Amino acid sequence: MASSLSDECTPLKREYDSCFNAWFEGYLEPAVSSTPAERLKYSQDKAEEYESKCGKIWSQYQSCVQRAVKEKGLETLLAQARAENPLKEPPALEAQRSHA
Amino acid sequence: MKFFAQSFLYDDPWSIVSLAYFLRYPNPYASHVASCDVISRTVTPSGTLVTTRLILKRGSLPKWAPRGIISKAESWIIEESEVDPVNGVVRCTTKNLDHVKVMRVEEHVTLKRTDDNKTIQKTEARFISNFGWGLTKQLENHSLARFKANIQRSREGLSLILGLIRQARMQPITFAGSSSFFLDSHRYSSGWTTVPPAEAHPHNASNTDSV
Repeated sequence: MASSLSDECTPLKREYDSCFNAWFEGYLEPAVSSTPAERLKYSQDKAEEYESKCGKIWSQYQSCVQRAVKEKGLETLLAQARAENPLKEPPALEAQRSHA
Repeated sequence: MKFFAQSFLYDDPWSIVSLAYFLRYPNPYASHVASCDVISRTVTPSGTLVTTRLILKRGSLPKWAPRGIISKAESWIIEESEVDPVNGVVRCTTKNLDHVKVMRVEEHVTLKRTDDNKTIQKTEARFISNFGWGLTKQLENHSLARFKANIQRSREGLSLILGLIRQARMQPITFAGSSSFFLDSHRYSSGWTTVPPAEAHPHNASNTDSV
């Protein structure tokens, strides 16, 4: 796994990445379920699972990396870029349209 | 402004290509990636995963670049992605945060599940320079040429990761949690520097360059 922008955060980042990757592999392969209610349930369950498994290490990693971002003076650049919001259209909508 | 578009078909299922895409750093074909951090991540109410990553890339400047405009050849990149596992779509946008007057590169990648359970990748990139001094066009052309040269390397890097995931999933012994073998091997792989070319598996390509 790649390093963090701050050496100090790299061990936390690696621990978080391991946790996330294990969760993400399962998240990418939802059981085939057709009703919207089942889908909603699935995503709520996955969100809860992520929070309970990786929530703690995520907070530790974030407090480290957000501090490093400030120290490197990247806050303003980031705020500008994120305000532009490059993801204008959720993929769900696009997929529905192309199947229509 | 210069524009580049290309599509590419992977034989692997979408879930594996998407996993490889998120795990693509580090790989020996991306030695210019110095760091990669997640700075925000949420599961949306509709069940998609939205992630922002901050990546530091080191590059080299062209010989004719005016001295002093860029103090060092490194650039901060922001990557915003959204993963929709139900519909089988990843959308990802990357752009550089600094040196934007000299050159802004915006790349949009989508990975979509096909009906026959393969994965189509579409890449679009825009190169915009506001540098002026008669160098705008030269800078844009240089940036486009570099991008075209690097896209093959990016694909080789991704194919290498795909190969590792395939290998890990073929292991007869299953560990607690389906993924631990590959993920652990990937975890300790950050020191790798060389790879025999035979390890990268080229896939069927359907390339359409439109520049």
